[in-house]
Amino acid sequence: MTLYLFYFLSFLAILSALMVVFSKNPVHSVLYLIITFFCIFGHYLLMNAQFVAFVHIIVYAGAIMVLFLYVLMLLNLNSESEPHKNNTLKFVAVISGCLLMVVLVAALRGTDTMMLQDNGSKIGYVRNLGKVMLTDFLLPFEITSILLLAAMVGAVMIGKKSSKTTTPQ
Amino acid sequence: MNALYIVCGLGLTALVAELFNARKILSILVILGLAAAIGLTIPELGTSISYFTNMVLIDNFSMAFSILIMAVTILWFWMAQDYFNQDLEHYTDRASLVLFTVAGGILMVSFNNMAILFLGIEVLSLSLYTLAGSKRDSLASNEAAFKYFLMGSFATGFLLLGIALVYGATRSFDVQGIAASVVIGSATLPAFFYVGVLLILVGLAFKISAVPFHFWAPDVYSGSPTSVTAFMSTVVKIAAVAAFVKVFSVCFAEIAPSWSFVLKIIMILTLAVPNLIAAAQDNVKRMLAYSSVGHVGYILLAFLAQPESSASAIFYYLCAYSVASITAFAVLLQVEKSNSGTDIVHFNGLFKRNPLLAVGLTIALLSLAGIPPLAGFFAKYLVFIQAIERGMISLTILAIVTSLMGAYYYFRVIIAMFLQEPAGDTLTVSASQKILIVILVAAMFALAVLPDYLLELI
Repeated sequence: MTLYLFYFLSFLAILSALMVVFSKNPVHSVLYLIITFFCIFGHYLLMNAQFVAFVHIIVYAGAIMVLFLYVLMLLNLNSESEPHKNNTLKFVAVISGCLLMVVLVAALRGTDTMMLQDNGSKIGYVRNLGKVMLTDFLLPFEITSILLLAAMVGAVMIGKKSSKTTTPQ
Repeated sequence: MNALYIVCGLGLTALVAELFNARKILSILVILGLAAAIGLTIPELGTSISYFTNMVLIDNFSMAFSILIMAVTILWFWMAQDYFNQDLEHYTDRASLVLFTVAGGILMVSFNNMAILFLGIEVLSLSLYTLAGSKRDSLASNEAAFKYFLMGSFATGFLLLGIALVYGATRSFDVQGIAASVVIGSATLPAFFYVGVLLILVGLAFKISAVPFHFWAPDVYSGSPTSVTAFMSTVVKIAAVAAFVKVFSVCFAEIAPSWSFVLKIIMILTLAVPNLIAAAQDNVKRMLAYSSVGHVGYILLAFLAQPESSASAIFYYLCAYSVASITAFAVLLQVEKSNSGTDIVHFNGLFKRNPLLAVGLTIALLSLAGIPPLAGFFAKYLVFIQAIERGMISLTILAIVTSLMGAYYYFRVIIAMFLQEPAGDTLTVSASQKILIVILVAAMFALAVLPDYLLELI
């Protein structure tokens, strides 16, 4: 049963990921991306990683995608306003992208299926994750706070209106 | 480890300083704090302790590079007074972002776990994207920030995929763990492990701006505010190169044949391409950007020759390179301020306008070109010795030829400064900048006289 589910989710994920790239309308791209995220959510659940799965939905499909949609609506992007790309660049990009895919597929094709070694450890549970985060991975956890702080300071710095240059509208 | 605490603490202090109206003393506070961090690190040299369940390893390698990063940051803060004073509104924000960048750099030189490497790179890059765009009314600065952000995120994607594949093959994020499974199982490692190694190579080659992953560098370097460019081409470069050296010399030294060929091509391109393009530049800032890409080529040559034992030569090269770069940028900033431009014509007759600046820039450029008896010469000499010891004669000849090309474009600036008619009135420089340039010039000679002390650090 889970095997069929796995194949179904993988098929859907790859299909909608391709549609993200190929659809002309940016809003459709975003919607297909949401489908991809939900498929990956299913994969996380299959791997018994509930916490990551739900964070994935809340953060990516929820927050970030809504942000994308807003940006698209604000910029009023549509298929006509898409800038025309250089043909040579397109050619080079397609060649190098395909080469990377060939290398990745060739490298992954010959590998044995590695089974998840889950000795009933319930490894993906929030409780275990929290424990690991505050013991083994304490330093990365704290550094992440510095990272977020730096991002926040940067966003405020770029986004804040300068008091000198503001002109009455 | 104390250094990391102090730098993070200083970053937070800088943010809070805005509340207490402590802008005026902030620069001095930061310089004193960084000096204290260096002072606390020096007595620990010679020890090797890992912290936080093996997340970071503070050994001589990491301490030497941390000290270098912090020392260059002190010089940078001294140099970049104008950058902070021009726009008082975001004074403290920018100071804190610079300090977070330094914290990221320290993590990148002392990581012992791939998670820390990734976080270090991200802390460093995210702060830097904002700093690149910190001149908000300038279109070039905005473009630089956006380009750097997009390209940087893309490169981080490659790095992450590489780390994930390596983790899949070795089941370890730990640097020593990966190295151990590479040594034990080099015959049985799956094919995707090597793909992972190459993807990590791509991600890190972007960060050290090696050709052909350098396309962002000239635009970002010339679009950013000049002070930020100076920071990027010194502090950030030191951290990125050290992280590169550490990943490939500790984790993947055992399987060097699988990546050394790719790295060799990258190195040859990095030596040849930027030096050729730099010769055609009329803007000194852009020329320095290309030359900073070119210098990575020499570092890669030393690393490729002896992956396990080139750290001290690379350290010395980076010391010589960053002192000379900071000097060049300090002069560039003064010229930019008085002529509002950085083309070669703006340097015409600088010797008549301000002899100290002209002599300082000349010595810096001669050091970058590798003319004896300056530090840059000994740095290049050590690199070439490393390569010749391993029989890489043809590559060494290529490197010598490209450094001659380098001399050509450095001399264009020097000739403009001494032989052309002045491009403006006498250029006055504040006393603190004069002292800084004198100290930097003295440092270039001191590094040349005492290379042994630095070489023994690692």
